[in-house]
Amino acid sequence: MFRFLPEQASNHAAKVDWLNNLITDISVACIVAICGAMLYFAFRYRKQGNSDQETPHIEGSNFLEIVWTAFPTLVCVYVAYYGVVYFADMREVPNEELEVMAEGQKWKWDFKYSNGKKTTGELVVPVGKPIKVLMTSTDVLHSFFIPAMRVKADVIPERYTYVYFEPLKTGDYHIFCTEYCGTEHSGMRARLKVVSEAEFNRWLEDDSDLLRLSRLKPADIGAELYVKSGCNACHSLDGSRLVGPSFLKLYNSAREFADGSKIDKADENYIKESVINPNAKVVKGFSPNLMPSFDGQLNADQIGAIIEFIKTLDGSSKAIVSGGTTSSNVDRAKLSPKERGELLYKEKICISCHSLDGSKVIGPSFKGLWERSGKLVGGGSYKADADYIKRSILEPQAEVVEGYPPAMPSYQGQLSDDEIGDIIEFIKSVK
Amino acid sequence: MDKQDMNEGQSVFNLSYLKQPKGLWSWLVTLDHKRIALLYLSALIVFFFLGGVFALLMRLELAHVGKQMIDPDTYNILFTLHGVIMIFLFIVPGIPAVLGNFCLPLMLGAKDVAFPRLNLFSYYIYVAGAIMAIIGLSNPADTGWTFYAPYSVRTSTGVIMMTAAAFVLGFSSILTGLNFIVTIHRMRAPGLTWFRLPVFVWGIYATSVIQVLATPVVGMSLVLLIVERMFGLGIFDPKLGGDPVLFQHLFWFYSHPVVYIMVLPAFGIVGEVIPVFSRKPLFGYKMVVFSSVGIAAIGFFVWAHHMFVAGISDPSAKIFSIVTFAVAVPTAIKVFNWVSTMYRGSISLTTPMLYAMAFVFLFLIAGTTGVYLATLAVDVFYHDTYFVVAHFHYTIQGGAVIGLIMGLHYWFPKISGKHYNTIVANIAWALIMIGFNLTFLPQFVLGMEGMPRRYYDYPAEFQNLHTISTVGAFINGVGYMMALINLFVTFVWGKRFAEANPYEAIGLEWRAPSPPPTENFDQQPIVNHGPYDYGRVALH
Amino acid sequence: MSSVAQHGTTDFGSMDTAPEHRAPPHVHHMDAVTAYHAAKLGMWLFLATEILLFAVLFTAFAIFKWYYFAEFHAASKELNWKLGMFNTAVLLFSSFTAALAVDAAQHGQNRKVVKNLFISIACGGIFLIVKAIEYGAKYSHGMFIGGEHFHQFSNFLSIYYCLTGLHALHVVIGMIVLFWASTKAMRRMYSPVYYTPVELGALYWHLVDLIWIYLFPLLYLIG
Repeated sequence: MFRFLPEQASNHAAKVDWLNNLITDISVACIVAICGAMLYFAFRYRKQGNSDQETPHIEGSNFLEIVWTAFPTLVCVYVAYYGVVYFADMREVPNEELEVMAEGQKWKWDFKYSNGKKTTGELVVPVGKPIKVLMTSTDVLHSFFIPAMRVKADVIPERYTYVYFEPLKTGDYHIFCTEYCGTEHSGMRARLKVVSEAEFNRWLEDDSDLLRLSRLKPADIGAELYVKSGCNACHSLDGSRLVGPSFLKLYNSAREFADGSKIDKADENYIKESVINPNAKVVKGFSPNLMPSFDGQLNADQIGAIIEFIKTLDGSSKAIVSGGTTSSNVDRAKLSPKERGELLYKEKICISCHSLDGSKVIGPSFKGLWERSGKLVGGGSYKADADYIKRSILEPQAEVVEGYPPAMPSYQGQLSDDEIGDIIEFIKSVK
Repeated sequence: MDKQDMNEGQSVFNLSYLKQPKGLWSWLVTLDHKRIALLYLSALIVFFFLGGVFALLMRLELAHVGKQMIDPDTYNILFTLHGVIMIFLFIVPGIPAVLGNFCLPLMLGAKDVAFPRLNLFSYYIYVAGAIMAIIGLSNPADTGWTFYAPYSVRTSTGVIMMTAAAFVLGFSSILTGLNFIVTIHRMRAPGLTWFRLPVFVWGIYATSVIQVLATPVVGMSLVLLIVERMFGLGIFDPKLGGDPVLFQHLFWFYSHPVVYIMVLPAFGIVGEVIPVFSRKPLFGYKMVVFSSVGIAAIGFFVWAHHMFVAGISDPSAKIFSIVTFAVAVPTAIKVFNWVSTMYRGSISLTTPMLYAMAFVFLFLIAGTTGVYLATLAVDVFYHDTYFVVAHFHYTIQGGAVIGLIMGLHYWFPKISGKHYNTIVANIAWALIMIGFNLTFLPQFVLGMEGMPRRYYDYPAEFQNLHTISTVGAFINGVGYMMALINLFVTFVWGKRFAEANPYEAIGLEWRAPSPPPTENFDQQPIVNHGPYDYGRVALH
Repeated sequence: MSSVAQHGTTDFGSMDTAPEHRAPPHVHHMDAVTAYHAAKLGMWLFLATEILLFAVLFTAFAIFKWYYFAEFHAASKELNWKLGMFNTAVLLFSSFTAALAVDAAQHGQNRKVVKNLFISIACGGIFLIVKAIEYGAKYSHGMFIGGEHFHQFSNFLSIYYCLTGLHALHVVIGMIVLFWASTKAMRRMYSPVYYTPVELGALYWHLVDLIWIYLFPLLYLIG
């Protein structure tokens, strides 16, 4: 009875659950017995008529007091003992562990492996090996919680904490932030992917992404950051007005601010200031306090890269942004439409705005999207059939789902009809 | 009780504290503990309503996955305000300031508390803190009621006003506690020895000790937080060389014992109600008293069980886990004694008795779920999930709020000289029970499934339980409204009856007329028996 | 304890209305002896809360000293222990005169009460002036909050300003309390049966003194 804990996916789970269920059983038995006695007394000894029946003058019983002091004490000692012992097991990391560094930051999780490989929002680990996640925070307190592994620890700035677990089966699991950290606290989630050891090693050594980054020009890195850091949610590249000013022809343009002051040229320093301290100079006509500071989230090189990227947006050519990995060496013809769609999902960085786990990023999650219906901004409703999805890819601003910003760029001319079909197949598969 | 006692009310009809002296001003500057109690009550009900509305708004937002009507920042402000208002403005003053103030001198056979002016002063400090909190609503904090650093040091929202309000409210709490301790030590009627004190007085006593000893610590911590924000001193923010875990230690050093400030007096009320309506002495009176004092004492040494995963050392986590279990035992003892009191009694299921039985049920759930959270390995999973949310609502709402409502019903004839409509009161009781359990039982399940707390949005698999919880919250809200409106309507428009002792209870407060005159008793009461000498033994 | 005598009423909040004919009827709720003991118990409880207030800062001091031992060692050398020593002597002397005032009040010597309390208040004033000189020196060395050298010793100085600032606030409050107690002596209200205010005021003043006795070695000497 009352068994609601998530699936047991780590070495700790069986022990924790046994103890948990033991407490449940004892508790339920006690509650039923005591409340049963109470209700029985209330019925059996209820006042008859208007006058009280005679009652005995019982002040207490030393025997009973001893019994019901001793009984809970024994239960407590027993439960406390196993609680402490199992906790000790959770804290004692075996020597042959795989260590992954994790960094909590408003509002994402970054992971770094010993060979320098980095991921965001996805922790990939091999099954059956002890994993130690060594964690710190760059800003405020966070807390790292994997329900299926039964581990949790607060993540503290300027300090290291860790969790240790040994995954018992492959699969995808939730990672939550459980220490309140501000606006997007509930969106600060990540995936734990437990894969076979062979698959893990292949994944770990796949450094095509890193190599590619090292060969990129700063402006290209800036283009990737534009998407990865979510600038694209509020700043367009084509001059259209979103939540914030467009990046098109921003560099060296004249700016007028909400407080009436002006600058003639939006130079590097101005852009940098706007990234670090967005509310210092708010462009006239736009709302303050919307943009978060990226202080500590982007380093000097990255801000420089974004500035270089903005410099290229002088209107002379159409900007092309892409984020994720390129998988050009894969023979697409051999893949199923769904698999091609999944590749496109990563290549065209749909991934940065549309999650697969139901979590809300910038756009609606793809999870369960197929044939879902709901309301649109400005009234009206939608049903996510093939036509709707296609329209959403080609003219994203036309039908925006309620509760989301009109942030998505159009993929007109970037995706063929076949490719759109592949993506639709992929979306169908994400349930 | 003999006839003479019952007729006492008639003879002093005109001297009711409610009627004399007259005028609004006489209420605002009153030194009468009974009037000050009602001043507190009126303010508390306003804040209970406000905090309740914030809770319902939160539940509406959470009713369905995704955004319903408010954005995340507003949601964060809502749960902060719900916590700050419910804790600092409603339930910490709660039972002590209202029922403690009203009943304590009556139950001791005294004319007033030891320092009546200090009592009024405490009330106005409370009002000052409340006004600061209301001003703070113009730029509300979004830190949660726990004000954890470094988030509270860095957020741009109005943390200073809210923490300053909590600091000022703390002073009110300290002075009230101090007043009550001195009153209990110095103002007991002749013959009223320590072990003839009603358990409610013991509960207030234990609570007051905690108020006096724990509140200054959180007050100072909040001042340090304010100083850190204003001058950039490095106390709690690691960026400035401070220690965020230190804040948690200092915060919980107060905020764990504060739970006992809330529930110990409620335990006391249960201990009053069950013997009266069972016509039996309280079973194991001394054990009940010792367990109250024991809980208060041990309660000072368990604070770090809020921090098992907060980065404290493993040995200290283990020690605090074990000490925490030590609190479970006296709590269990109380429950066994209450239920045993009903054995072979003559039980009338009046509204207060129904609340007392509900309290036993709810507090059993609260207590047993506390065991999960004290168990180190299990708490690692439950910490900061909905399981914790449900657990502390069972203790604080199921314990302290139900205790307050129970006490208001129980002493209502004494406070008002009138009797409320029992049918309405019982329907309200049923709605509260249904609504409350419907709200928070699903939250235990959510916590077991791994749903973290303070989440604006959540994965779709948690959807159904959240919807049930929201429905329950509204039923619960209706129940409270109904109970309080019933009392209010009776208080203002009800027909008076002037029985001094409608329940034929033994406590000294029932020897005074209903409602009592300003100085409570016509003549100094003298005590020659224990507090619950019901049963075959003669009363006089 | 509860014969409810109808005279000599007083309580912690209403000592300024001690003459019985001026007391409002409502405070006729306890007799004079009970009132004295109640007020004293209340004061001791209040002192307990004060100690816990400072305990927070002492805890923080201990922790930061452990974290930043070298910084605390260097920073405490920046303090002028001679001025600190002088202030310690001043406060000790003021506690002595406060005790004399209580003794005088118990004997009904109201003029002597005023004299001794005024010496204590003056000592409090001297203490604050010396403290201001020390703060001024910190300011001129750029070690005040926001100063150019503040960050060098920021952990020590943060806790130093909190501790000494809160203590200075208590000195000011103590001076006000003593002055209020002395106004009653000016009105010749103390007698062998009524001297509660001056005794409570002196208790508070001793606490203020005692806290400094802990602060001085912690901050200035043991570095």
